[in-house]
Amino acid sequence: MADQKHRILMVSDFFFPNFGGVESHIYYLSQCLLKLGHKVVVMTHAYGNRSGVRYMTGGLKVYYVPWRPFLMQNTLPTVYGTLPIVRTILVREKISLVHGHQAFSTLCHEALMHARTMGYKVVFTDHSLYGFADIGSIHMNKVLQFTLADVSQAICVSHTSKENTVLRSGLPPEKVFMIPNAVDTAMFKPAPERLGNDEIIIVVISRLVYRKGADLLVEVIPEICRLYPNVRFIVGGDGPKRVRLEEMREKHSLQDRVEMLGSVPHAHVRSVLISGHIFLNSSLTEAFCIAILEAASCGLLTVSTRVGGVPEVLPEDMIVLAEPDPSDMVRATGKAISLLPNIDPQQMHNRMKKLYDWHDVAKRTEIVYDRALKCPDQNLLERLSRYLSCGSWAGKIFCFVMIIDSLLWRLLQLWQPTEEIEEVPEFTLPRHQDEEIISNFN
Amino acid sequence: MDNIISESLLRRNWRKVAYGGMQPGFDDNHTDESFLEDMVMNANVVKRDILKVMQDSVSISQYLCIVTLVSLVWAHTLQSTLDENSLLLLDASLFGSGFLVLLLTKEMRSLNLLFHYILNISFFTTGLYMLAPIYHPLTRSISSDSIWAVTVTLVILHLFLHDYSGSTIKAPVVLKNPSLTSCVSLNASVVASVFIASRLPSRLHVFAIMLFSLQVFLFAPFVTYCIKKFSFRLHLVFSFGLMAVTLALVYTLHHLLFMLLLGFLVFISVVCPYWLIRIQEYKFEINGPWDEAKLCFNVTD
Repeated sequence: MADQKHRILMVSDFFFPNFGGVESHIYYLSQCLLKLGHKVVVMTHAYGNRSGVRYMTGGLKVYYVPWRPFLMQNTLPTVYGTLPIVRTILVREKISLVHGHQAFSTLCHEALMHARTMGYKVVFTDHSLYGFADIGSIHMNKVLQFTLADVSQAICVSHTSKENTVLRSGLPPEKVFMIPNAVDTAMFKPAPERLGNDEIIIVVISRLVYRKGADLLVEVIPEICRLYPNVRFIVGGDGPKRVRLEEMREKHSLQDRVEMLGSVPHAHVRSVLISGHIFLNSSLTEAFCIAILEAASCGLLTVSTRVGGVPEVLPEDMIVLAEPDPSDMVRATGKAISLLPNIDPQQMHNRMKKLYDWHDVAKRTEIVYDRALKCPDQNLLERLSRYLSCGSWAGKIFCFVMIIDSLLWRLLQLWQPTEEIEEVPEFTLPRHQDEEIISNFN
Repeated sequence: MDNIISESLLRRNWRKVAYGGMQPGFDDNHTDESFLEDMVMNANVVKRDILKVMQDSVSISQYLCIVTLVSLVWAHTLQSTLDENSLLLLDASLFGSGFLVLLLTKEMRSLNLLFHYILNISFFTTGLYMLAPIYHPLTRSISSDSIWAVTVTLVILHLFLHDYSGSTIKAPVVLKNPSLTSCVSLNASVVASVFIASRLPSRLHVFAIMLFSLQVFLFAPFVTYCIKKFSFRLHLVFSFGLMAVTLALVYTLHHLLFMLLLGFLVFISVVCPYWLIRIQEYKFEINGPWDEAKLCFNVTD
């Protein structure tokens, strides 16, 4: 079974050139799956003039579908608009399994729906947490329920995220796998020389928005600066709350102790991280938080709010947790400062290497793919009954949507028979062959 | 040897952590007994008392009556049963009673504030008087039916979106931005008054009716809010008096409308509260570690 190679299509609205947790998850997972011998194709929407087919490192093929994003990098939800192109890609690339990422991605939902209509096995990864109270969440949860009603297997990035997804979608918990994100420890190495301990530098790198707790920072930074005269802050990131931070800096005359870098390109994150001792994360909600892993991999001690999946991310001795309220965060930072002399960045980095590895993530995802492919095939009627159980009104709407989708698919099959779609020729990257030759040689 | 190691690994308990790869002895889809143990259900649910809800609903009935009274005055003016002099008299008496209520209920009675109000109102009245000739021929080219239809729609919109929780006009001390819906609601009522005013025969009519409508739509919520804050009993007495007067006046105008209004009042103050209490038992609120943390301080942007 392990020898069976999959042909996987990753679908999400979020991919390079955008940067974030989902983007890097898809990229690294795809790279590691390619190394395991599977074929991986990524489908996302066009970014600026980046449209059409591109190849990335390791022969990762990316389809930038020419649909324009309309809101927060999301494509316009057209429900059926993407059916022809999804079908063409699935047939052309002889895909065996579709893997969608992120619950807000409309492209992901649509592609999963079409893939199910065409009888493919689908896997969905949820990267975010959602509440249950406001109208936005209620709508999103219904959409998620629709997609997950017929998904073969689902993956969540933390146990908290799994609980959340199970509650939101009504999926049986044994169908939901917990596979965390990881960090590329080779990219995030600690500084070659240990920093001196006479001046303590606290690094913050996050988008300066409400959800990332920028308002907490405004309260916490002056208090820490008052209590610990040898502390300096480096704040990287931009956003609507930046003005508030700058106001705070002026009000407390901390211009020489709080450095604001503005937005930091992902390639420069390491260089900012290694200039500090402590990483401060003030998020108000977080499913996983890759930023903490990057900081820990650079050998920084992390102080974070105890929200969402954050407590699961690192062992207790590598992170100091605080309640999301200013006084407790100041206490936690004080504790972190007192722990600093016992922290060896190189040792921390070595531990992180053992704790997180993208190859491990890829192997665990492979198991999920194997399970998904073992799921029995179902005909339309059996699947419709599952949609119908989603709710008294929603169930009927879902069924209707799926019936129309199948009809459109049949129509497309008549209009452009599968045999007429040209299949992509196979090729193996020469670089891989070279590596093999070299390894054989040795 | 291997057996002992694997057994000791197996015996290790499952931990709720994401690091360190797959936990030995457990699949990634392992669901522990601790699954969902941090979930809290119905933590913030308030038990409601039917009597309290009924009392609170009186504010809504009261405002419905106020709007009905305005519509009555409009109807009578359009039928020419109310002439401009009695309208102006009505305006003046409303101003007088409004001020009286404010003076009696407000804690801070300062001459300065009174002067401030009077100055503002005189500006307002003068502006309206000067604008009256513009409003007068505004909708001459549009048929009366269309105007009625639009006005009724606007009044219904106004009632729907009105902010019943407090008053749209705040005391000058309170700096709180009104919500979008209450602004839309206020504007709908003003447009409705302009439409009605533009169907009237003379400029003085237009001025009088505009002044009357704006007085009510702008200041009535404020005045009723003051009364309610001053004494809840007075508020109840005032509201029931208002309801009785409105019902009587509507009865003289049209019997079917009377039935409709009575039905609405009963619906608002009896059926809706009962309904709300009934559907309370379906309330199902879920909280847990996935919720966004609430900040314990106020953020001022």
